[in-house]
Amino acid sequence: MSAADRARKALSRLVDASATERILISTAALVLSVLIGAVLVLVAGRMTTCTAGEAVYYFGTGFCYDPVVVFDRLFLGALGDPLSGSWSPNGQFAVTLRETTLLIFTGLSVALAFRTGIFNIGTQGQMVVGALATALGVLWASSLVSGVVGTVVLIPFGLLVGGVFGGLYGAVPGLLKAYADANEVITTIMLNFIATGVALYLVSGVFKDPESAANQTVPLPEFAQFPALLFGGRQDFSLVALAFGLLAIGGLYYVLEHTAFGYDIRTSGVQPEAAEYGGVDAKRTVVASLTLSGALGGIAGAMYVMMVLGTFQTGIPSYGFDGITVSILAGNNPLGVGVAALLFGVLKSGTTVVQFATDVPPQLVGVLRGLIILFVAMPEFFRLLGRGLPGAGSKPEAVATDGGTVTESGGETDE
Amino acid sequence: MSDADRSEGESLLKRYSTRALVAGVTIASVVALLLAGLLFPDSLAGTLSDALTSRNTLASALRLSVPIAFAALGGIFAEKSGVINIGLEGLLIISAFSAIYVADITGGVWIGFAGGVVASTLLAALFAVVTIGFRADQIIAGLAVWLIALGLAPFASQVIYSSPNTPTVATTGSITVPVLADLPFFGALFSASPSVYMLFAAVFGSWYVFERTAFGRWIRASGENPKALDTAGVSVTHVRYAAVLISGVLAGMGGAALSLDLGQFTGNGPTMVNGKGFIAIVAYLFGNYNPVGAFLSTMLFAGLDALQTVLQLQGIGIPRQLIRITPFVVVILVLALVGRTRLPEAAGEHYDTEE
Repeated sequence: MSAADRARKALSRLVDASATERILISTAALVLSVLIGAVLVLVAGRMTTCTAGEAVYYFGTGFCYDPVVVFDRLFLGALGDPLSGSWSPNGQFAVTLRETTLLIFTGLSVALAFRTGIFNIGTQGQMVVGALATALGVLWASSLVSGVVGTVVLIPFGLLVGGVFGGLYGAVPGLLKAYADANEVITTIMLNFIATGVALYLVSGVFKDPESAANQTVPLPEFAQFPALLFGGRQDFSLVALAFGLLAIGGLYYVLEHTAFGYDIRTSGVQPEAAEYGGVDAKRTVVASLTLSGALGGIAGAMYVMMVLGTFQTGIPSYGFDGITVSILAGNNPLGVGVAALLFGVLKSGTTVVQFATDVPPQLVGVLRGLIILFVAMPEFFRLLGRGLPGAGSKPEAVATDGGTVTESGGETDE
Repeated sequence: MSDADRSEGESLLKRYSTRALVAGVTIASVVALLLAGLLFPDSLAGTLSDALTSRNTLASALRLSVPIAFAALGGIFAEKSGVINIGLEGLLIISAFSAIYVADITGGVWIGFAGGVVASTLLAALFAVVTIGFRADQIIAGLAVWLIALGLAPFASQVIYSSPNTPTVATTGSITVPVLADLPFFGALFSASPSVYMLFAAVFGSWYVFERTAFGRWIRASGENPKALDTAGVSVTHVRYAAVLISGVLAGMGGAALSLDLGQFTGNGPTMVNGKGFIAIVAYLFGNYNPVGAFLSTMLFAGLDALQTVLQLQGIGIPRQLIRITPFVVVILVLALVGRTRLPEAAGEHYDTEE
């Protein structure tokens, strides 16, 4: 009825129209990156040394690494070898879901900022800040409660602490962009370095666990960590955490599509001038979006501490940068983030399997991450490729599946 | 129209006055520090001014500024032509590794240097094809270049040397001008690595290209008013390709100089490049796209970095980990004060030739 509603309908039509194409492009980017990765593995296999017995032969040439084995391990290994008949929830599949859970949060963090037209490269730093704050906050609070009550109280408390501190750290580049016109790409990257440096200082000094050689805080008691339901405890995965992740996907989807704040965010991202003309406070939206984005990064840090490590240790893996890939792969759509996080979770978890099974260095996944971003960024390339293929427009079945993972999708029919 | 002119003029004034302010405050505080040091040689100010006037500080500031300043010069070429190259960090990483690798297999330091430049130029060429040929978003493609290099260099090092760090190779050594090298403080200018002299040449060369040659004017036009350049019969696409390739060459020289100066590539975490490519971007923004300005602001960052090393050696009681983040904090402060620098009019936009 209102102009806002009409604009929203027009916008959603536009998004729907390109959704198919976007999924095709993301899939093509993924496939192409994997193919290039295979070539890279072959080339690397020529450059390293191994005995003749270990080598594999393609086209009459010997290679030290076998890309078929690498990608078999990477994908089937990450799923816990579902074809071998000995699949169990305690295997590698739990690791994959653990990675997926963390990537959902960092992916959503990047996606939210992207939708406002902001590049938040600082999710990594926000995650570090959130993780450290959670480790310290929960450690302090764990002396007050214990047992099952402790778990029920401390986990939400830890997530809150991580979210608040991550959010505050995310607000810094937001304020700098809104009021000093400082480019957020640079400030967030600088803030990543600062977060890592300050965390190293604090954890190697004041907050260092005196009984550990590593730079880490005193470990949290068992009851202050996510409980392992159904899955074995050894893989540090908790279904509760994944449920939080799915809830976050649904929540962010709802906020973006069905609230006034979400409308402000989307219009600022698509048409900043029009948004301002329509009464959107651009400065406030920028700060709010980066704060919320930082909070999601901070929650990823809280999850990492309370589910995976049980303490804060320097050298947090690069989930924040992987979140950029996840978000770009998902077309910055919260529902897509779920699927992309699972895909990239497979890649990350599979890398460790590859490392056990072969000598291929684990940095391979870093290269794949860059390649995927590069290819998704050049849709023109795939349009050019697709022009020769008449069947390229066929609807892929993946469109419908991401709706199934969302718990709150019932709310979208009331228009 | 006159309103627009006035606001343009005002923002121009504001921009220059903030820059002048930052420069003024820097110079004033340095002078105050030196005076205080002269008056009270035993105080903290005395130690600081000793460190500031030591030729070791100048020597290491020059050494530290080499990779940043080369990358900044490269960034100027690309961005003036209308292509924002945020992948400078990746170009530095790939050239730092390739330089060591080529030097290791050939045994020649300068062959290694050339190898680094070639690797960086190839990656820049990929970036150019993706952004200019296939119209990819420049920021996202630049991030991809960074992340690809960040994965590829340690990957290659692990494959070849079974460690993310390479073994050490011979270094570039240094060139010493007799007599002049014995000067106090400024002697550091005359006893430095060859890459420092190459940097001086590159700064002057870039300045000359932009101010005195037709090619420099084309690059400016390609970023400011591509349509006019097109009308004048010069291909915008060709100019942009050339500018991005030059940025690859320059960044490659910086990366190669960085690793060959130490004789090793270290690839743990953010690698030995550790944000220098991003600091370079801020350096040229602060230097207002002027090669000399970019060099001077690089010296500001590198000088701070050099000073912290000297202070660490003298055991001033600031924790090492905190001193290490000063350049990053300064970058944010500078950005907050200078704010948005005026980007070239058409930077970040794709240009279609109308045939």
